[in-house]
Amino acid sequence: MSLSKEALLKKLSDGVVNMEEEEVVEACNEYIEAGYPAFDGIMEGLVDGMNRASQLYDEEEYFVTDVLLCSDAMYIGLEILSPHMPESELERVRPKGVIGVVEGDTHDIGKNLVKIMLETAGFEMYDLGRDVPLQSFIDKAIEVKASFVCLSTLMTTTMPGMATVVNLLKEAGIREQVKVVIGGGPISKKFADTIGADGYSPNAVEAVKLVKNLLNIA
Amino acid sequence: MLSPKERLNRVLNRDTVDRPPCICPGGMMNMITTELIKVTGVKFPEAHMDAIMMADLAEAVYENGCFENYGVPFCMTIEAEEFGAGVDMGTNIHEPHVVKYTINSVKEWQQVEQLDLQQGRGRVVLDAIKHLKTKGNDVPIIGNLTGPISTASSIMEPVIYYKELRKSNIEAHEFMDFVTEELITFAKQQIEAGADIIAISDPSGTGEILGPKLFQEFAVTYLNRLIDAIKAEGIPTIVHICGQMKNVYPQVKEIRSDVLSFDSIVSMKEARENLLDRLLMGNVSTYTIEFGEPNKIAELTKKCAADGANIISPACGLGMKSPLQNVKSMIGALTKEL
Repeated sequence: MSLSKEALLKKLSDGVVNMEEEEVVEACNEYIEAGYPAFDGIMEGLVDGMNRASQLYDEEEYFVTDVLLCSDAMYIGLEILSPHMPESELERVRPKGVIGVVEGDTHDIGKNLVKIMLETAGFEMYDLGRDVPLQSFIDKAIEVKASFVCLSTLMTTTMPGMATVVNLLKEAGIREQVKVVIGGGPISKKFADTIGADGYSPNAVEAVKLVKNLLNIA
Repeated sequence: MLSPKERLNRVLNRDTVDRPPCICPGGMMNMITTELIKVTGVKFPEAHMDAIMMADLAEAVYENGCFENYGVPFCMTIEAEEFGAGVDMGTNIHEPHVVKYTINSVKEWQQVEQLDLQQGRGRVVLDAIKHLKTKGNDVPIIGNLTGPISTASSIMEPVIYYKELRKSNIEAHEFMDFVTEELITFAKQQIEAGADIIAISDPSGTGEILGPKLFQEFAVTYLNRLIDAIKAEGIPTIVHICGQMKNVYPQVKEIRSDVLSFDSIVSMKEARENLLDRLLMGNVSTYTIEFGEPNKIAELTKKCAADGANIISPACGLGMKSPLQNVKSMIGALTKEL
């Protein structure tokens, strides 16, 4: 007996929320075999599940480890469904962002979380990792024509690097085209204003809202 | 007039004191600044690898009126390096940090070798403590450990580590058993070398990352095992945890250290309300110490004491570019009170 499209979408979404990779794989295969459109499976199934997970994170029902496991389940599902997407959907232009932890700092849990949330929200993210030489942010932003750059640090010592990135973007003449958002333990709204960044986010969920706001995306 | 050691001991024994002590343990709670390095002429980052230089710099922290303790080391990479991780020693503005992991999964924990404290930087720390012990008995010597979760997540990719706490729960516990037993060995040798107090920093084991359940299962369990072993040697402990505490206060209460320390995101007032009978240390913003004005730092220091801190300290490791004048304004604020 095969499940209805709605039942399978719910299974996909629940599998992500409940961090059940096997359930997600099973539901994805069943969904494709039944011939339902991959795009809906991703948006109304996997991404819906990830949005529920981030809602739970926002409500402090879920914590970082939970979200990481949910995202694993989502990405496993994406691997199965994405190849079945029609070319036109794949080529749909998504806003691009560059993300990384600034030079001198290797704490990247927060950065990884922000990246997951932004990808879930439909942004195409280029992750430079951690301890990233400051010029690399500018080079990558130019290379991929990014709309925004996300900088993170957990250490006071490496905060001035964020100001340097803002200045380097100016020097490269692309400051107007590239929004800069920053975050991390010691960062504040005041610091963001001081260095001329476009925004500060205290957490990953807020980061998505912030970027959407800055780029005028509903 | 109480010596720094007497004052700290009185606080630990819950006796009355003239004013709170002002300390910065070392380890993750770095207290070395570029300006201090310049004043002493000790080479950096070489001091991370040389016992005499390390001890001299630790002594200079006290001699220059920064903090009322000696503390070593000045980073949180000793244990990770001894466990086989690759470490970049940093510069005189950046701290040492791990650049290459030892294992890829908690399932590979048996490949991690036991600590060899006869040589390497573990030995340097032990020798530095011995050296500090010869400098008299008025200043407390604090030996530092990187906490079990932070050590474990320094020798493998933290994201994988956090996920495997659930996905490979049994092996994760085996790995933590191993790491904790090795840390106990390191602690005992620090005590034998002359450490008066052991400070344990576990910044990667936060309530925000783990949530209450995993915080209890991994952070509290292994911290307590370490604390109990140190307590059995008759030595007091300070535990520093980063991040918000509001979701994990019931679990934090169960941590059996003599002193609890938090970073600046936790309000001392809130911590005091939630941890009524505990000795608390903290938590002057390191951002303000690096970028603020001395009078603002003095204000924050007094506020910490008024809000219930038994021991005054920076909320985290000092940024290495913190001006000496700013660092000294913490003690200044406390002694002017007299």
